[in-house]
Amino acid sequence: MTTETGETVLVVENEAPMRRFLRTALATHGFRVAEAGTLREAEEAATRAMPVAIVLDLGLPDGDGLELLRRLREWSTTPVIVLSARDREDDKVTALDAGADDYLTKPFGTSELLARIRVALRHARTQPSDEPIIAIGPIRIDRARHEVAVDGALVHLTPIEFRLLALLAAHAGKVLTHRQLLLEVWGPGSTHETHYLRVHMAALRRKIERDAARPKWLATEAGVGYRLRDASRSSDDLPPR
Amino acid sequence: MRAYLLALAAVAGAIAIGGVADLALADDVMLFLLAIMIAAIGGRGPGLLAAALSVAAYDFFFVPPRFTFAIADLHHLMTFAVMFAVGIAIGTLVQRLRHAREAELRARAEELRSALLATVSHDLRTPLAIITGMATSVRDGAPQLPAEQLEALDTIVEEARRLGAILTNTMTITRVESGGQPRREWVPVEELVGATLDRLDAQLAGRDVKISLERDVGVHVDPVLTEQMLLNLVENATKHTPAATPIEIAARRASDGVAIEVADRGPGLPPGPAEQVFEKFFRGPDTRAAGAGLGLAVCRGIAVAHGGRIEAAARDGGGAVFRVWLPGGLAPQEAIPA
Repeated sequence: MTTETGETVLVVENEAPMRRFLRTALATHGFRVAEAGTLREAEEAATRAMPVAIVLDLGLPDGDGLELLRRLREWSTTPVIVLSARDREDDKVTALDAGADDYLTKPFGTSELLARIRVALRHARTQPSDEPIIAIGPIRIDRARHEVAVDGALVHLTPIEFRLLALLAAHAGKVLTHRQLLLEVWGPGSTHETHYLRVHMAALRRKIERDAARPKWLATEAGVGYRLRDASRSSDDLPPR
Repeated sequence: MRAYLLALAAVAGAIAIGGVADLALADDVMLFLLAIMIAAIGGRGPGLLAAALSVAAYDFFFVPPRFTFAIADLHHLMTFAVMFAVGIAIGTLVQRLRHAREAELRARAEELRSALLATVSHDLRTPLAIITGMATSVRDGAPQLPAEQLEALDTIVEEARRLGAILTNTMTITRVESGGQPRREWVPVEELVGATLDRLDAQLAGRDVKISLERDVGVHVDPVLTEQMLLNLVENATKHTPAATPIEIAARRASDGVAIEVADRGPGLPPGPAEQVFEKFFRGPDTRAAGAGLGLAVCRGIAVAHGGRIEAAARDGGGAVFRVWLPGGLAPQEAIPA
């Protein structure tokens, strides 16, 4: 198990037992934990504690967690991971489009929590444009030469498929919403044309995945978007069996 | 029934009072109108019955020549018409009012049910998330625990997950039964199947899953609801069939949209009509596998909400097959920039 360097994670959660679970899980893995139960406390703690990441429950009592997120994004790029329930897909999309970095669906275990935080921290530390070559599992993307190889064999992608894959790879492990993908690949005029995206994702899966109906890498987050699975998803990030 | 008896009694009362009191003919008419009005409060049927009886009785007992149905003066026809008009008008009004009130009551009950469920769901989800979190936190923090205790922690996590799934189904059925229109997006069946199997990864470990999908076929659906439906169908198959038997998922275009099939080689459908498996709270004879009896009811609710349908059937060679028809086809025709 990795131990982090004593950096602070801010937990914004009004349910005391839920806060205790988050505190225990984070502290066990070497994070220091700052806690806030209300929006007001959260805003104060976000400036004072200088967290490296924020875990934010969208269902706060004294106001919308989204409000905090929007205000935070005016001055900070600190990664934010929102917590939400299974049937609140629209809330998740709104939060992600408003600048949240990822989400966790309740209930979740410690391993999922830590995996999300690690991915968010890694992306916060490295600029995606830094690396001309991205390797994820069997997939190798050469962004300078516009080439993609799977298991060492070159794969021919259309320009749209390449941009989709490169974008997901630059944010590997992180969910990207339909809107974010459409905006980056097709431009601002097409952000509601989700069928464009789905058609090209289906084509991309057939070229990248061994079995497109059981994808290992290009994961669908129903009603939210897509995520290229992180190859560093090591055994301690998976739910222990 | 009671309303019709009341109509009879009211008319009989009018005859009796009119006969005993020896009133003017105009007053007799008033008596009968009163009887019709009282009867019509019971609805259009009783109103009509009272009107017919009143016309007959008034003609027979009071209109000269008395004790015959003959009419000497044609202006009595006018009286008869008014009696019918009053019976029908009041009966119809009462009925309409009653329907409006029932609809309002139903709407209010529906509103209350939704609000209650939303609250209950939230209030149950939070403790569930805490249970799951705490149990995984203990398990991850103490790998040196004896095997039985680690297993106990796994059981806690698994049971919390099951409860969460029941909650999700309860919420979904409330949503689809409230009659709201689901959103419609074109989604490849392959994407829905992939996401479903991904979420069932743990339950499907070691299971032979055969997938055969017509190329490029998709459905016009709410992707979250439809994934939920597929998840319930596949989970139902895993629960009711031996782990060594295969599960087959297929999709193809049909005359009325797209047909998606989930088939197994398990013990088949329970005895009785196949439709019963889609009833709320129906449980199969295998009580070990029993859930809340909501999974398949949710499937039907989701299929119907999209204008589709679902059926269950015994399968040639043993096992069961669940077939869903949903609106869909190949990708929308308008140009997709490439």
